[in-house]
Amino acid sequence: MKRGKSATNPVPGIRQTMSDLHIWTGLLVGWFLYAMFLTGTVSYFKDELSQWMRPELPRQAEVPDPAVVAQLVAAKVQAISPGTSQMSLRLSDARNNSVNVFWRKPNEKGRRAFAEANFDPRSGEELSARETTGGDFFYRFHFQFHYMPAFWGRWLAGFCAMFMLVAIVSGVITHKKIFADFFTFRWGKGQRSWLDAHNALAVFGLPFHLMITYTGLVTLMAMYMPWGEREAFRTPQQRQEMSAQLSAFIQPGKPSGEAMPLASVEDMVRQAQARWGQYNVSRVTITHPGDAASRVAVTRGEASRVSMSPQYLLFEGSSGKLLEVHDSVGAAAETRGVLYALHLGRFSDAVTRWLYFLVSLAGTAMVGTGLVMWTVKRRARLPDPQRPYFGFRVVERLNIAGIAGLSVAMTVFLWSNRLLPLGMAARADWEIHVFFIAWALTLAHAMLRPARAAWVEQFYAAAVLLALLPVLNALTTDRPLWTSLLSGDWVFVGTDLMLLALAGLHALIAWRVTKHRGTAAKPRRDAAAGARDMEGARA
Amino acid sequence: MSHLLTFLSSLAGFVALAMAMSRHQREVFGKALAQPATRRWRLAGWACLLLALVVVVFREGWGLGLVLYSGHTSLAASLVLGALVVRERLRDARATPRAAASRRSA
Repeated sequence: MKRGKSATNPVPGIRQTMSDLHIWTGLLVGWFLYAMFLTGTVSYFKDELSQWMRPELPRQAEVPDPAVVAQLVAAKVQAISPGTSQMSLRLSDARNNSVNVFWRKPNEKGRRAFAEANFDPRSGEELSARETTGGDFFYRFHFQFHYMPAFWGRWLAGFCAMFMLVAIVSGVITHKKIFADFFTFRWGKGQRSWLDAHNALAVFGLPFHLMITYTGLVTLMAMYMPWGEREAFRTPQQRQEMSAQLSAFIQPGKPSGEAMPLASVEDMVRQAQARWGQYNVSRVTITHPGDAASRVAVTRGEASRVSMSPQYLLFEGSSGKLLEVHDSVGAAAETRGVLYALHLGRFSDAVTRWLYFLVSLAGTAMVGTGLVMWTVKRRARLPDPQRPYFGFRVVERLNIAGIAGLSVAMTVFLWSNRLLPLGMAARADWEIHVFFIAWALTLAHAMLRPARAAWVEQFYAAAVLLALLPVLNALTTDRPLWTSLLSGDWVFVGTDLMLLALAGLHALIAWRVTKHRGTAAKPRRDAAAGARDMEGARA
Repeated sequence: MSHLLTFLSSLAGFVALAMAMSRHQREVFGKALAQPATRRWRLAGWACLLLALVVVVFREGWGLGLVLYSGHTSLAASLVLGALVVRERLRDARATPRAAASRRSA
């Protein structure tokens, strides 16, 4: 850190103050932020990961016509649950090879009333894939964690995001040479190199880091700050109007009690396709099918539209007559819609999604280098490097489990997806339990082993586990890498290759840490050299 | 196509901006350039970044355009830094193998 202090001035300058603020806010929430960043980064490929984790669902060579699919699956759900008051179909698309449906079971109340299942878009039959949360686990974890009520998890995530904003702003003020040091990386200089890396990762991705943190808060703003809308919208009518601005999710009203069959859903989706394009329909929500008061909402897809504001057509279910066209929302709601969309990046084509992934990964590395730097900086000043003080040991060990350990745990999660018995009770829950057990074990390992050995062993463990996942996939499914390559199954090819690339990255990091050991015998000299560098930087 | 144009223009822009800095001039040209040459590099750099912005906003609109611009500039700047680091390490390794070896292990 650069310090704007002078020996004669006892009052710390603005940069010193901001530097301290940056260091301590960063440390306070750093481990949460690292986990949120990494699991969030992976979530840009959540749909692909979900496909990989349900190998029973066959590859989708081409996307079936959404209109036909909607008709087929809606009829099937009606047959499964006659008298349902509401069903919502997430249609299959280029990234999803199943139709995800949830519906309300009649005569049941509360959370138990909701049922969820995946359907084959071609046959309309309910799919019997292994029970797993798929990519949704990392996605949910990144904003609400686990083993705690979603409400508290989201507040915790919001608290961390708020501190992230503080860290970003204070970091920019602290880093006084953003332009002069723009392309500067000084190799092999200990703390100086860590700082250069941290700065480069932060500065190059700065627009993204600011955007993702701020928009992350916006996605949950109604929960964090509900008072404004509570004041502004008081009557049920007003509240309903507001929610129509935020989501295309229509609530079931009162049924009329008069039976009237549902008109052709296919025809309704066709009208939406004529408006938005053949494959640009994402969701169909139906209330009270088979009743005269039935309504059908057909929602526009998110492709190439930087906004999550709801755009949907509302039909009368019994006649198929178009009742309402919702194709724009108020300015405030649209602002939220755009910020929301920026965070999720669902409008992305493949290249944009990769950009999101890479810059987000850089953000993860920024948080990680920041955490490591806290110890690098203090290790140089330890009175006895063999016996660091308690706080130092805590940070050091939490860093190991929080960074290297998380890689191990996330990989073990994928292993459990392939290895847990298919018929196991609560299988999806156990995949998650296994993830946390593995993570807890890495923390125990980090506490028991010498710090450097723990880093190396955990990074190598992650590398080996990652590298063997494609092998495990080949042994436990009928979709090994070579078959996927030959059949052009790019989701499986991409996932397997990505796992191998990540294995390489982890092995490289482990190898670098091992090599670093060579000079550990003379840490004091290094520390002195590092201190001289710092003085030079200050001058 | 928008991706490629935006990326290449951003990359050229950041290369030129790096060449407008005396530290990197010394690395690449062996000496710091004179003021007018430096100014030309800087001007070319900003012009390329501006061009990338114009191209991507013109082709993709403001919403998507700014998102792509942010992504491609981040990637391009990282690649320029990466290239400078690799270049310096290769040169060090060639010039003084022993010094480089000791640097590497430091």
